[in-house]
Amino acid sequence: MIEFVLDGRSKVNTYMQLVQQVKQALRVGLLAPGDRLPKVRDVAQSLAINPNTVLKAYRELEIEGLAEGRPGVGTFVTRTLAGASLPNQSELRADLVAWLHRAQAAGLTHEDVTALVETTMRATLPAESPQPKTT
Amino acid sequence: MIWLTWRQHRKQALFTAIGLAVLAALIIPTGLAMRGTFDRLGLTDCVAKLGTAQLSQTPIGAGTCDAAFREFNGQYRVFGMIGVLFLFLPLVVGLFWGAPLVAREIEQGTHRLVWTQGISRRHWALVKFGMVGAATLVASALYGFGVSWWMTPLSQAGQLTRFDVFYFDMQGLAPIGYTLFAVALGVFAGTVWPKVLPAMAATLAGFVGVRVALTTLARPNYLPAETLTYPVQGAIVQPNTALGDWVLSHGVRDAAGKLVAANAEIMCPPNATGPGASCGADMGVGAGSYNWQLFQPGSRFWAFQGIETGIFLVLVVLLAYFAVRRIRRIS
Amino acid sequence: MDMVLETDQLGKRYGGNWALRDCSLHLPAGRVAALVGPNGAGKSTLLHLAVGLLRPDAGTVRIFGESPYANTSILADIGFVAQDTPVYRDFSATELVTMGGKLNERWDATLARTRLAQLGIPPDKPVGRLSGGQRAQVALALALAKRPRLLLLDEPVASLDPLARREFLQSLMGSVAEAGTTVLLSSHLLADLERVCDHVIVLSTARARLSGSVDEIVDGHRQLVGPRHGGEPIRGVAEIVRASHTDRQSTLLVRTNGSINDPAWTVHEVTLEDLILAYLADGDTNTNHEAWGVPA
Repeated sequence: MIEFVLDGRSKVNTYMQLVQQVKQALRVGLLAPGDRLPKVRDVAQSLAINPNTVLKAYRELEIEGLAEGRPGVGTFVTRTLAGASLPNQSELRADLVAWLHRAQAAGLTHEDVTALVETTMRATLPAESPQPKTT
Repeated sequence: MIWLTWRQHRKQALFTAIGLAVLAALIIPTGLAMRGTFDRLGLTDCVAKLGTAQLSQTPIGAGTCDAAFREFNGQYRVFGMIGVLFLFLPLVVGLFWGAPLVAREIEQGTHRLVWTQGISRRHWALVKFGMVGAATLVASALYGFGVSWWMTPLSQAGQLTRFDVFYFDMQGLAPIGYTLFAVALGVFAGTVWPKVLPAMAATLAGFVGVRVALTTLARPNYLPAETLTYPVQGAIVQPNTALGDWVLSHGVRDAAGKLVAANAEIMCPPNATGPGASCGADMGVGAGSYNWQLFQPGSRFWAFQGIETGIFLVLVVLLAYFAVRRIRRIS
Repeated sequence: MDMVLETDQLGKRYGGNWALRDCSLHLPAGRVAALVGPNGAGKSTLLHLAVGLLRPDAGTVRIFGESPYANTSILADIGFVAQDTPVYRDFSATELVTMGGKLNERWDATLARTRLAQLGIPPDKPVGRLSGGQRAQVALALALAKRPRLLLLDEPVASLDPLARREFLQSLMGSVAEAGTTVLLSSHLLADLERVCDHVIVLSTARARLSGSVDEIVDGHRQLVGPRHGGEPIRGVAEIVRASHTDRQSTLLVRTNGSINDPAWTVHEVTLEDLILAYLADGDTNTNHEAWGVPA
């Protein structure tokens, strides 16, 4: 089970923040098919948000085929986003750590590293599926 | 709703009960003591002797009865004064039961809590008025008849007349009317000035105003007053104090009926000549003058009590009606 | 869609002043609606009209299709918490729950007790000696114990500190999720309610400026930046809510009725908060000019 947190300063919609957190959890393997998402009531209460917002987020996940609602039981994960890359992640992560150490040794600050990674990603990787609408 | 009313007013009920207990502790021993003295001095016989004639031929100024009356009245003089304190009890009840009833709800905003539950405001008002009214009725009846019982010897001994202003007002039925009126006025004031203190002030002013106006202007005229005349000079007679008449005014009139001496009473023995020429000549009292008094006979005491109470009960009903109407408009 | 609350040309007057005027709006079932506006805008008046404490001086208000004034059968379906959460301060929480049972035909005392127990409210202490947040929770528990279909809350969090405010909204949202109650709650600050509401009613100077679902409202407004605008119509713009000009440039907040493709204008999306502020500022300016007797 995951716990949602909200970023109060984010301009991203509350429901979209929930969707993104589920996807993030799916990507890193925190959630796997068959897992149940937190109850609407619990999310609404703990975050003090409108239950309709939670329902809307879960509906969005259903539309994207990531989850499915079972009436009276809850909403369950049906698909993962980790895919085949998950087993490779630890190896890739080790490479990245080694690279970060080198960057540090070369005198790059955190901001420098972030900027370098972002520009390189933009230049190297083709744009993925369009970003979800943020309103 | 009955539960709520009881829960909200139980403190006031307790204080009222304590007040009545204190009153009882005050008047029961002293009342019994007075009655004891009254019997010991043989005043019961004296009162019987005074009879029911309008003019008494055996005035208090003679015989053993006079001494007995004087002893009794001397001993209990201060009691008549203490009794006047009781006059304010209805007002106190009105201030502390009546004024906060609606005013405190609105002042604290709790009317928005209680009027948005599942009962109508009319229901709320009727139960509250009914219960507080019933409690007031019981308390004031105990008070009125208790004080009546206590004062009987004092008025019989002629120390005070139960028909007189003040003494009339604190015994019998009248206190019931006053107390209910004070409470109803307080409730109504609370619907007009929805804060406790202004409502109390309005109740105080309104109560005193209405009471003074009715007592001085209206009460003497509930029934046509009667007149009594008796000679200035001659056989010694005087109005019978045992009847408890309410003397509205008295004086001495000359043969033509003109008032020559207001608030005076002249009694001269037969053929007496005063320090001047004849009896009272220096005051302008000539031949054919007579003592005169305008009065309400003591036998009308209960009729007047009934009329007075009736007037106040009508006011109570009107105030309660207008209070309910106003409550429907408060938000 | 089922309408819980409908008003038509609703007005309420105190003496010569209209506290609420020409107010026509509706609230569908299942919504959590924020009633937003500055102090004195008529929020309490609207809520008091809705709960039947006040009688309208003009127009109509209907709750579940019925007029609420002096209507006790409607009262059973409305949970109301007035401003400053009034309760009998010398009563204990237990006694208040008992009182509710005596005054209501439908009353879930168990629900109230369970809630109060979960919140750690002492049962036998006079509620006047509880903290403001605890008292607000008691008032909310009393309102919810009626199992209402509509919950009206007048400035429920205004007087609470941030922690109590969050706790109050948490327990409110928890019970809304459970019971599906329609909620209308007022606040002079949208920030308090932005995450809990999916419907907004904006009142300003006794009039309803804006009413509708948050999504529709946000979708239906845009900010345009372009050359100085002289008042000529722009395709896709239904109404200019607020305009500010420099000598060359205009910034317009507009209500749209179609897509705006005019290349002269750069189109931005707007947040709910900006939008509401624009509507409130608009109302204020108009009244100020009226009050000072100068043209707007």
